[in-house]
Amino acid sequence: MARGSAVERSRTSETSESSSVLGRGARVRGRVSGEGDLRVEGQIEGDVTLSGELAIDEAGSITGDVDAASVMIAGVLQGNVTSRGAVTIHAGAKVEGNMGGAEVSLEEGASFVGRIEAELDLPAELMPRQGR
Amino acid sequence: MAGTIIGQGLTIEGELTSDEEVVVAGTIRGKLSADGPVTIEAGALVEADISAASLAVGGTVTGNVSAAERVDLLGGARLIGDVKAARLTIADGASFKGNVDMDV
Repeated sequence: MARGSAVERSRTSETSESSSVLGRGARVRGRVSGEGDLRVEGQIEGDVTLSGELAIDEAGSITGDVDAASVMIAGVLQGNVTSRGAVTIHAGAKVEGNMGGAEVSLEEGASFVGRIEAELDLPAELMPRQGR
Repeated sequence: MAGTIIGQGLTIEGELTSDEEVVVAGTIRGKLSADGPVTIEAGALVEADISAASLAVGGTVTGNVSAAERVDLLGGARLIGDVKAARLTIADGASFKGNVDMDV
């Protein structure tokens, strides 16, 4: 029973129409857009716009702006990130660009050059004062 | 090692090259070249020239295709473009418009 459901699940995830993988030996020059999740083990030179989650593996790299529901970076990214959810920069990642997301986390060991704009509510005493 | 899978909702506008297998269930506009086998699944839309080690088409392809080994047009496939391959099969239910060069 449990085995059956595991098999079922693995088959669904394998053939799921909403899940894409750019393999290690693969390279895209151009725009990538659409629905579903994308895992990048190869290279993309161009902008990526996704309704789902984007993961850049250790071997993966993207040169271009990225817009996705959430972004996980373990590889190389040169470009700006816009995310409706979490942006996670893992140890070993190399990132250059501005990160915008609901939450941005940066692990120790990651290399990061850019700005982080996380949406958060500042406490009252840190709110910018009106007037002067 | 799954190679590359372009899922149903995904669109690539540009050039995709790969050393490995490529499976397309989404949309590609531009160019597709792979050193491994390429599968265009039913429902996929490819407006691109394709070169591959071998090619199986179940979806819609507009563009010239060439394969080092073979090209298989599966039932329901639609190919508008020229084919260059040593072996070609066209299944019942596939539609094809173009020239064939078997390099004899």
